[in-house]
Amino acid sequence: MSSLQRSVSSAFTIAEMEARKLRHDSTELWMRTVQPALWLLVFGEVFNAIRGLNLGGFSYIQYIAPGVLAQSVLFIAIFYGITIVWERDVGLLTKLLSTPSPRISVVVGKALAAGVRGIFQGIMIFALALIIGVNLRFDPLDIAGVLLVSVLFAMCFASLSMTLASFLKTRDRMMGIGQVITMPLFFASNAIYPISLMPAWLQTVSVYNPLSYVVDGMRAMLLTGDYSGLPVDILVIFAFTTAFILSASVLLKRLIE
Amino acid sequence: MTVPQQLETGKEPEEEGSSLAVQVSGLTKIYPGGTKAVDNVSFEVKEGEIFGLLGPNGAGKTTTIKIITTISRPTAGAIRVFGVDALSSPETVRRMLGFVPQAISVDGDLSGYENLLIFAKLFYVDRDQRDRRIHEALELFGLADRANDLVKHYSGGMMRRLEIAQALVNRPRLLFLDEPSIGLDPYSRLQVIDHIRQLNRNFGTTILLTTHDMAEADELCDRLAIMSMGKIATSGAPKELKRSVGGDVLTVVASGKLPDSIPPELGSVASSLQGTMKILTVDGEKAIPRVTDHLEGLGAVVESVSLSRPTLDDVFMKYAQGSLQQEGTYKDARSARRSATRHGR
Repeated sequence: MSSLQRSVSSAFTIAEMEARKLRHDSTELWMRTVQPALWLLVFGEVFNAIRGLNLGGFSYIQYIAPGVLAQSVLFIAIFYGITIVWERDVGLLTKLLSTPSPRISVVVGKALAAGVRGIFQGIMIFALALIIGVNLRFDPLDIAGVLLVSVLFAMCFASLSMTLASFLKTRDRMMGIGQVITMPLFFASNAIYPISLMPAWLQTVSVYNPLSYVVDGMRAMLLTGDYSGLPVDILVIFAFTTAFILSASVLLKRLIE
Repeated sequence: MTVPQQLETGKEPEEEGSSLAVQVSGLTKIYPGGTKAVDNVSFEVKEGEIFGLLGPNGAGKTTTIKIITTISRPTAGAIRVFGVDALSSPETVRRMLGFVPQAISVDGDLSGYENLLIFAKLFYVDRDQRDRRIHEALELFGLADRANDLVKHYSGGMMRRLEIAQALVNRPRLLFLDEPSIGLDPYSRLQVIDHIRQLNRNFGTTILLTTHDMAEADELCDRLAIMSMGKIATSGAPKELKRSVGGDVLTVVASGKLPDSIPPELGSVASSLQGTMKILTVDGEKAIPRVTDHLEGLGAVVESVSLSRPTLDDVFMKYAQGSLQQEGTYKDARSARRSATRHGR
């Protein structure tokens, strides 16, 4: 095997490890669907009554469906840093890093595992939308595209979280940083309201917010069918993901030094 | 300890099967903050032997192992594993070694079989050999009937056995065991020791282990080194080390006339009081009949002879304790331990 083949095979093995754990106990996955369900069923329904927003002809609940999916993937991914700190604490990380597998494989594998959870969230949102009658574009290619963006986005923030873990080093701090990062990103994005409604300074912030690009891409595929912004959206998420994977691979050893 | 510096001369003369598994020279690790965890350490582990690294907490054992397993980088020094430079080709080195850390490191949320499978994949064990080896290992280590149970329901001893079974699947040439029997009940401990010995004898696995259990070290190790305050205080075969802290002591209880001295080839009299005589000698077991004969030849009636030998505990106390008093203070030891904890166990 070449070293590239080995890296890829190891990354999939790490992802397989996580997937097998989910198969043994998937309770967490199901509990993770409660929050997006609340956003759609409660928040979405209530704000559906407000007609003052210019949402391009879509109802509010349609409008926030992509945002709610992106947010739920973000929440799952950002806690991967806690997982890795926990694995350090119990000695698993040391053992993983003592295998011949390259470090980047460990990071990519964990990120892929976050992606698997992202896909599950995506499927649950589609199911919810069907049940409560939210009209989305249920085209197979669009669905595949949305799931792909979910995977990429989950990988992006899982690696960011692992990068942060190598500096913060404890579970408590990681819990804190999870809160510090997720809510501001959520509110400074187009997830639950259009960017045009934001004050000017927040609009500037949202340009640098990867979540805005994710929501924009998902919204194109789920609602508008206007793919003109999609290449830029995917390129931006891809760039962030690559940067965070590389930084986590280099910095991960700080956790066990 | 002094170790002949192995210079790279291109080819090294192979002495009958005594090639080196590990060569460490001038190893130093200074943690950020200035704690010198390992201080200019040099030692060698021969292929096929069981080598013990002993020492008090914070002596630098775990740091040394982390550096040889390429998990941590040294501040200075050179490490070769089966001749491969661990600093320039860490992945090649990691392919040859297995590591069982101090804390239980099997994944509780996976089954025993899955644990072995995942790590076999991460070690790139050939697909066609993987399953056969996993089943063999589970069978040999008495885990076959629990193979599909989640590991979090295993006992501590079973988890440890699973970790060592991993080595049987991956067949590393060199296996590191950090405190392999810590926290195990006596029965599980014996099983683990037995499995370690089997790996060494039947598969030729070179083993480097750390332990606090001196009896275990004495029983298992071909050679050992005692570390203290980041340095190697002494090293050698357990027998030599025990001899170095003083010879065997014979306690003779006899009636009749006891001499004040005995011929030097039998040993020397340490004390002789009211029919009880203490004799310092080199090889106690062999000295017993000769001393008895000698004393009875002089007209004494020997009632009993008992032999006490120095244990590795005595060796440990002498070297570890000695250097603590010499150059280490309580504060140094504490800060070494603290930083060892802070930087991962």
